[in-house]
Amino acid sequence: MRRGRAVRGKPFLHASTAPGSSSNAHFSAGIRLRAAAVGNLILVRRVILSTLRGLSVLAAAVLLVAACGGGDPPAGAPAERTIVFKHSKLFGDPTAFAALIREFEAQHPGVRVRAETLPSASDEQHQFYVINLRGGSADFDVLALDVIWVAEFARAGWIADVGDLLAAEEHGEYFDASLESATWEGRTYAVPWFVDAGLLYYRKDLLARYGFEPPRTWEELERAALAIREHEPALHGFVFQGKQYEGLVCNALEYMWSAGGDVLRDGDVVLDSAANRRALEFLGSLVPRGISPELVTTATEEPSRYIFGSGRAVFMRNWPYAWTLFEQADSPVRGKVGVAPLPHFAGHDSAATLGGWNLGLNRRSRYPDEAAAFIRFMTSPEAQRALAREYGLNPARRRLYADPGLLAAQPHLEELRAVLDAARPRPVTPRYAQLSQVLQSEFSAVLTGLDEPAEALAEAQRETERILARP
Amino acid sequence: MSGALRRIGERPAAFLAPAALVLGVVTLFPIVYVLWLSVQHYSLIGDAPAFAGVGNFARLFADARFWNALGNTVYFTLVSVALEVVIGLAFALLLARPFVGRAPMRAVVLLPWAIPTVVAARMWEWMYNGDFGVINYLAGADTNWLGNPYWAIHAAIAMDVWKATPFVALLLLAGRLSIPAELYQAARLDGAGAWRLFRHITWPLLRPLLLIVLIFRTIDAFRVFDAIYVLTGGGPANTTETLSIYAYKVLFQTLEFGYGSALAVAVFVCIAAITAAYVWLLRGSAR
Repeated sequence: MRRGRAVRGKPFLHASTAPGSSSNAHFSAGIRLRAAAVGNLILVRRVILSTLRGLSVLAAAVLLVAACGGGDPPAGAPAERTIVFKHSKLFGDPTAFAALIREFEAQHPGVRVRAETLPSASDEQHQFYVINLRGGSADFDVLALDVIWVAEFARAGWIADVGDLLAAEEHGEYFDASLESATWEGRTYAVPWFVDAGLLYYRKDLLARYGFEPPRTWEELERAALAIREHEPALHGFVFQGKQYEGLVCNALEYMWSAGGDVLRDGDVVLDSAANRRALEFLGSLVPRGISPELVTTATEEPSRYIFGSGRAVFMRNWPYAWTLFEQADSPVRGKVGVAPLPHFAGHDSAATLGGWNLGLNRRSRYPDEAAAFIRFMTSPEAQRALAREYGLNPARRRLYADPGLLAAQPHLEELRAVLDAARPRPVTPRYAQLSQVLQSEFSAVLTGLDEPAEALAEAQRETERILARP
Repeated sequence: MSGALRRIGERPAAFLAPAALVLGVVTLFPIVYVLWLSVQHYSLIGDAPAFAGVGNFARLFADARFWNALGNTVYFTLVSVALEVVIGLAFALLLARPFVGRAPMRAVVLLPWAIPTVVAARMWEWMYNGDFGVINYLAGADTNWLGNPYWAIHAAIAMDVWKATPFVALLLLAGRLSIPAELYQAARLDGAGAWRLFRHITWPLLRPLLLIVLIFRTIDAFRVFDAIYVLTGGGPANTTETLSIYAYKVLFQTLEFGYGSALAVAVFVCIAAITAAYVWLLRGSAR
C-alpha cells in the first residue's frame, strides 16, 4: 500500500511540471511566427509524451493498488474488521439505530459496523445490488432484501445459505409467509427482519353512523360502501393501489387468494381458474359500479393514503405504515380509523400479500462469520423490539406482537398479528420480476375495463407458462 | 512551418489515435457488445451466456408486447412530431414579426425546453391528477387522464408537444431570420400577398432546416423514455409502453440481457431506418 502511494506521487509531479517548463520555453522563443509554430509543435509533442508517460505510470500504480486491495489484507494491518450493512432509509430519529450498532460493536470487540442507506426507490435498490453483486463486489456484507428478491439472488449465487442462523426450533418464531419468502429450493437464504401485509382500513365513525359492522366479505364491503355513498355522495367508497406497478400485483393477489385462487401451485401455473375469474370480475367491477373512484387506476400507496387520510374515503387497502400517520395530532381522521383483515369471498379465508425485508449475507463477504453474527443480532427479539418502537417497523418475530410495552405504544399490532399469520408471499421464483410484469399489465387491463377477466387470465397463464419454461 | 506540417502529415495515424480510441471505447465498443449480447441467451441471474443465433429475434417477432410497444412508439412519434412542427412553425413565424415585448416573449417560449424532462413530467403528472389536478379543475371534468387507456397516451403526447415545441420554434425562427429581407420586399413590390410570401419564399428556404429539425425530433420522440416513464410507467395495461420503456424493463428489472439487447437492437434498427430516410430526403431537397 505504502509503496503504491510513493510510486504514484512521482509521475504526478513529473506530468504537471513538464508542460509548464516547455511553455516557458515557448514564450521566450515566441517572437517570430515560425519559431512559435515549431515551439507549439514541440510543446504539443512534449505534452502528449509526458501525459502518456504519466498515464502509463498511473496505470501501473492503479494496478498495484488494485493488486494490494484485491488480495488478503496486508500483514500488520489493524485487527479491526469492518462489515458494511446496506439497508433502506429508516424514518425517524437515527440515534436509536446508531445505539443498536454500538451495542453490537461492544459485544464483538474488533468488529466495526458501517451502516449505509440504499437509494430510496425500490427499483434503484434492486439495480444497485444487481450491479455490485454481479460485479463480485465485497463492498458490503449484510444486505437488506425485499422479500421478492431472495429467490432471484439465491439463484444467481450472490447470497449465502444462512440456514444455520435459523435453527429448526426457531422457525415457529417467525411468520410462515416470511420464512417461505426467504427459502428457495429447500434452503434458507435470508433471515426475516421486518414484515408488511395488506390491511383494510375503515372509518369507524361512518360505519357506526350508518349501522355497519367492519366488513368480513367483499360483498359486505360493497354493500357498506354503496350505502354510505348514497348518504354521502362526496365520499369515495374504497380506495386502493391500482396503477400498473408492483403494488397492483400485491392488491390483485389478495382478491385471488381470498377466493381460493393462486398463481403457482406445486410449480404449476394455475392462473386460469374459476376462483381467479371470480376474484378479477369483482376487481373489474369496482370502478364501474361506483364502489371505487376512477382515480384508483393511477393510485399508489401515498395518493390513496392521502385521500383516506383527509377523510374522503370510507375504506382503504394499504400497508400498516399508514396507521401511525392517521393517529398523529394533526390528522383529520385521528381516532376514527379502524383496521381489520382484508375481506374475503364467501366460503373462503382472508389473505394478505406479504411485504417487508429479509437480511441476507453477501457470498463474497470477507468476514462471513462477523456478518452472520450481525444478522443474528439484528434479527434478535431485542433489536426487533427497539426498531419497532422507534421506527414503527413490524417485527418478523411473532412473539413481539404480544409484548406489553410495544402493544401499549402501537395497539394495532394485535390486529396485525392475525393478518400476518394469514399473509402469503408473492410467488417465490427467481423469475418473479418477469412474472410480475405480465401480471401488472393483465391486472391493469381488467381494472381499466380493457380486457375481460377470462381473457386476461388466459393470457397471463400462457405468458407465465412461457416464462417458467424458458431455460 | 511547412516542414512541421508535413511531419504531421506523414503520421496522421498517431494524431488520430487518441480520438479514435476514445470514440472506440465509449461508442463503438458498447454497440458491438450489445449486438453480441443480442445473439446470446443471457440473464444476469442465470448461467453463462450461450449462443442463441436468431433465437432472441424470433422471440421478438412472436412477442405481442413488442408489437404493442412498437405501435405505441410509432403513434407517439407521428402525432407528437407533427404537432410540434406545425405549432413550432407558427410560433417561429409569429416571433419573427416585430411586436412590443418580442424579446421577453422569445425567452418565455423557450422555458419548457429548459426544464429537465423528469421535473416537467412530474409537474404534468400532478396537473393530470384525477383527484386534485388543475386540468380537471379548468376543464370541469372528472377524468383520470393517466389511468384511462384511451387518454393516457394522448396525455403523454400533449406533454411532449409542450416540452419540445420551443426547440422546433427556436430553430425555425433562426432559419426564418436568416432569410434576407430583400426577398420579401421585392416580392411585396410585385404584389405578393402573405400566403404567396410564405409559399414561395419562407417555405422553400426553410425546408432544409425543417428536415433537420424533423430528424432531431423524430429520433428523440422515437426513443422517448423519461417523460412517459415518470407519467405512467407504461400503464394502464401497457397502453403507453414504448420500445425504450420495454427495453428498460427487460434489461434492468428482469435482468434478461440477451433479450433486452435484442430489443435495443430493434430500436437501433428503426432509428437507423428513419435517419436514412431523412438523409435521402435531405439529399433530394439539396439538389
